[in-house]
Amino acid sequence: MLEHIELFFKSIFIDNMVFAVFLGMCSYLAVSKKVATAVGLGAAVIFVLAVTVPLNWLLDKYLLQDGALAWLGPEYADYNLSFLSFILFIATIATMVQLVEIVVEKFSPSLYNSLGIFLPLIAVNCAILGGSLFMQAREIETLGLAFNYGVSSGIGWFLAILAIAAIREKIRYSNVPAPLRGLGITFIITGLMGIGFQSFGGMLTGGSDEAPAEEETTTVKVIEENKEKEIKEEIENNKEEVSYNNIIRK
Amino acid sequence: MHDLKMKYKGKKMAPAINAFHTFLYTPDETTHSGSHVRAADDLKRTMNTVIMALVPVLLFSMFNAGYQHFSAINGFPEDFSVMEHFLTWDNFWIGIVKVLPLLAVSYGVGLLVEFIFAVIKGHEVEEGYLVTGILVPLIVPIDTPLWMLAVAVVFGVVIGKEVFGGTGMNILNPALTIRAFLFFAYPTWMSGDKVWVHGARERSEEILAGATNVDAFSGETILGFLAQNKGAEMSYTVSDMFFGFIPGSVGETPTLLILLGGLFLIFSKIASWRIMLSAVLGSLFMGLVFNQVVELGWITETSKFYGLMNFDFWKHLLVGGLAFGIVYMATDPVTGAQTNRGKWFYGFFIGFLSVMIRVFNPAYPEGVFLAILLMNVFAPTIDHYVVRSNIKRRLKRLENAVIIPKDTDGKTAELQAETV
Repeated sequence: MLEHIELFFKSIFIDNMVFAVFLGMCSYLAVSKKVATAVGLGAAVIFVLAVTVPLNWLLDKYLLQDGALAWLGPEYADYNLSFLSFILFIATIATMVQLVEIVVEKFSPSLYNSLGIFLPLIAVNCAILGGSLFMQAREIETLGLAFNYGVSSGIGWFLAILAIAAIREKIRYSNVPAPLRGLGITFIITGLMGIGFQSFGGMLTGGSDEAPAEEETTTVKVIEENKEKEIKEEIENNKEEVSYNNIIRK
Repeated sequence: MHDLKMKYKGKKMAPAINAFHTFLYTPDETTHSGSHVRAADDLKRTMNTVIMALVPVLLFSMFNAGYQHFSAINGFPEDFSVMEHFLTWDNFWIGIVKVLPLLAVSYGVGLLVEFIFAVIKGHEVEEGYLVTGILVPLIVPIDTPLWMLAVAVVFGVVIGKEVFGGTGMNILNPALTIRAFLFFAYPTWMSGDKVWVHGARERSEEILAGATNVDAFSGETILGFLAQNKGAEMSYTVSDMFFGFIPGSVGETPTLLILLGGLFLIFSKIASWRIMLSAVLGSLFMGLVFNQVVELGWITETSKFYGLMNFDFWKHLLVGGLAFGIVYMATDPVTGAQTNRGKWFYGFFIGFLSVMIRVFNPAYPEGVFLAILLMNVFAPTIDHYVVRSNIKRRLKRLENAVIIPKDTDGKTAELQAETV
């Protein structure tokens, strides 16, 4: 039970899909102009992650892992198909999303109307594939934990897009310098929000054992620093990008 | 000054000249366009009120800088008396040498950036930096190098405020953005046990270089002691914590003066009492939860979190930057929640998260500024839902409303049926 709770909070706040690993940025930036649509997309992401991560966990466990085919017979025990995981995961995601879309359209048209438009959009969202790949890389142990991981990282993404949508609604009438309007300021906001989310970085790293406190804190700090640098680079790059765009436009 | 103003009227440098002019004189022009509200509490007065609430803290911090420095060298005085050991010229001199440059750099660089932006964008210089400029030196460690502070101020003012269109448009508190930038960019200067007392860092470097005629000294903050489970070695009493004779960032220690400043801000209606009260409640609540965890024996004494969890819940308000953050930072009217109900949530989560980060995050024993930044991020979301729920409630009220016309000649029932 404790590990469920820990994984839940960890994947919402500490390993947040947007602010810690910068995944799912395209739809996060594109569909965050209004809170209502952001909520729709966020709900769709939670839903799809909750379906695909456990499914891919099963695939990983019984098809792809080293020795996963042992249940077919002893002669298959030393097959390792993990090089197929990319293509298999993404195929699963695409088919599942299509399937879910069809089913939802048939049985609940109202849900389809609010969610349905976003479902095909997020079939190709990297946060979804990222969820499955992280699940594989972090060797999540049980199906229940995989489901938990899917739901909670979806909630983390949902919170991120909700917050930025509200901020963008708030700054709609601000006098932002012309070159930064639109995507530019959104990138900067994302970087600043990342600083806010840093408050959770390095949390829950210790158990109840006697901890080697010194070393741990320094490594944590180094990681923080790197992340910070990344964020700043992101901002810088983005500035350049924007100015490029402007030049091209001119 | 008047001549200069007339000379530069309509030219590019006009905003800069005008700013100096309004600083010295009351302008006699009237507004030409749009509708304006004339009120006594304009932006400048609001800012000045906050500065007035901060001046006692600043003065105290100058004395405390010297007090901590000399106590760390000579040992803490046995029979402490305020006049003899604290309010001395030697202490104040250290304050002048160390704190005033921080203040000067913060104001100088920040206002320079503001002036440049005002000239480029062609609007009046905004007063928003006045408060940020005095907050910044109060929340950094005393030995912060001045160039670091200057870099951070430029970052905070440009990225944190000007790109959003200047004062009143920013989403994160600029002073806290500056603090966060310093914290993540130069972590060795911002945490540990060598930065909180003037001279401690130099002294340890001398010893590393081979000097044998000096003793090392360090000024660990109370939270630092607790985070390392060394609470028993600490020699500070509760009254030390309350009056602020403890090491820490320049101006965060004197809880009494901060409390007075907070009351002053509440009575002058500059800051929101809702945010302050709910933040205090939030931190007390979280502290109580942790105390209960210890009491129930869920964690052992060897646990990394034991020191901070065992700390009495109400003492969290006395140490570190929690009181300072609640009174002067969380109540920032721009970045905080705008709606009254939103303020309760906003404040509560600030207190709650501050204590949580303190306890759970070994990397930052001081989580207040990050908690406030995080809630700055979520403040618009809170506001959005408060507004939504208001709209919903009022729509419902409208649906259930019964409109009774004055002359009740049988139409009442009809109307009722219509509106319901």
